[in-house]
Amino acid sequence: MIASEFFKKGSKLFLPLLSVAVCLSIWEVLHLIIGGDFLPSPYQVFKEALRMFSVKIGGNTVWMHIFYSLRRVVIAYLLGAATGLPLGMYMGWNRTFDKVVKPVFEVLRPIPPIAWIPIAILWLGIGEGPKIFICYVGAFVIFVLNAYTGMRYTDPLLIAAARTYGASRRQQLFNVAIPASLPSVFAGVQNALSMSWMCVLAAELVGAREGVGYLIIQGMDMYKPPMIMVGMIIIGIIGASLAVTLRWFERLVCPWRRDLT
Amino acid sequence: MENVCKQALIPRTPTPYVLQLKASAADNTISLISFIVFLIAWELICRLGIVGPYQLVPPSQLVSTFIIKLTEANPDGGTLFEHTETSLLLALTGFGAAVVIGVPLGLLMGWYKPLDLMVTPVFDAIRPIPPIAWIPLAIIWLGIGLPAKAFIIWLAAFVPCVINSYTGIKLTNPVLTRVAEIYGASRWETFYKIGVPSAIPMVFTGLKLSLNASWTTLVAAELLAASQGLGYLIQMGRRLSRPDIIIVGMLTIGLTGALMSWGLNLIEARFASSKRVRL
Repeated sequence: MIASEFFKKGSKLFLPLLSVAVCLSIWEVLHLIIGGDFLPSPYQVFKEALRMFSVKIGGNTVWMHIFYSLRRVVIAYLLGAATGLPLGMYMGWNRTFDKVVKPVFEVLRPIPPIAWIPIAILWLGIGEGPKIFICYVGAFVIFVLNAYTGMRYTDPLLIAAARTYGASRRQQLFNVAIPASLPSVFAGVQNALSMSWMCVLAAELVGAREGVGYLIIQGMDMYKPPMIMVGMIIIGIIGASLAVTLRWFERLVCPWRRDLT
Repeated sequence: MENVCKQALIPRTPTPYVLQLKASAADNTISLISFIVFLIAWELICRLGIVGPYQLVPPSQLVSTFIIKLTEANPDGGTLFEHTETSLLLALTGFGAAVVIGVPLGLLMGWYKPLDLMVTPVFDAIRPIPPIAWIPLAIIWLGIGLPAKAFIIWLAAFVPCVINSYTGIKLTNPVLTRVAEIYGASRWETFYKIGVPSAIPMVFTGLKLSLNASWTTLVAAELLAASQGLGYLIQMGRRLSRPDIIIVGMLTIGLTGALMSWGLNLIEARFASSKRVRL
């Protein structure tokens, strides 16, 4: 009885550890069977990570590559927020404006941002321009959609109440509708960031000389799977920390209606 | 995992207007006029030479390129139909495989605690890595043919399938499961008679996200390594400096994606939302 109780409590800790251990050993065994660099062992990946952080790759340290990618994402993301949020909110607020913008937006919306890469390169060359543009497109569409949805979901009762108390149209917008739409906007804020993070990767994979996408494509060109894996782990860690940072920021800015996010 | 679940609950597509009265004919006229104005402005910008012919082409030329590409394989080695067919087959293969594996896994993870505890840590470790980052590894492991691309698409579609099925079945109303237990239903019966049906709406949300993800990822994979497909078509358009081909390709990608989502919505309307109430 006591033993089973103990097992039940322990299983919460024990099972996850067991599964991670099992996965790592399967990885190791596969490495031993297939062998060599084709499927590197966890230890090889670790060693490669140490090596990569101590040398320059393509003229930049790993930290610089990370910095380049992050810079692109942040610039594009802020641009996307600065243009997408007001556009989406105004589309949700003003019906005539909505009707004017909607058809063009609806044609462009289903095109994945990544499909913009070739035309972005044609338009903006191969420098920073196209990468920022791709991330911008990715973030922009999500910002617009979520701001729009948030505006549309505003409880009509709130607006009606504000109107009853004599609020002007302007006050209804800034004091009622925009705060009410923030939870939905923040759902978009998260998605937009992970989308731009994905887009920067795609843009860097297709053509770049710096950035984390360049790291893994370099690993492929040099036929070094350990290098690719280290790059992927870096990408995963950065993506996850971006999300965590944003969630913290969200709690700061939008303390009401925590349940939505 | 918890946070992701909550995120997954938020509706992503705009639902019908809350504040809006019925869309009037005047509204539609505004939309139509604005679209026509947009096209005319585009046409003029190109015709007046504000942007060069190697950067943007007027809409009228897009139409002719589109008609030519329907039957003509040059200069990229395939007609529009062939490219679309290749891409569609690939995307649906990856998506189908992801649904077949991901949905049951998610449902079982949400229902059986030990499985949840075992899979979640591994799943959470892999999830933050965007599927696109797997492309180089997949190319090294599987070559540049169909398996590599199918693998990446599968991966991209797999994650939303699992997360949404997991969340869906976690949200099953506990009263219902307890009632089932009281009336002597076995654990397995409770699972597939109570849990699974109540998870269906969330599962469909997951399917839609998956479909989107697989289509996006497909384009990325084809940009990098392909000899046919819509991603390859737009990449060739760039190499040949043919903006008309790129834009026709982009619009085809958008249209095909939209059509697939529309098809999935039809299936959902047919199977999911008519009789079952969200619990």
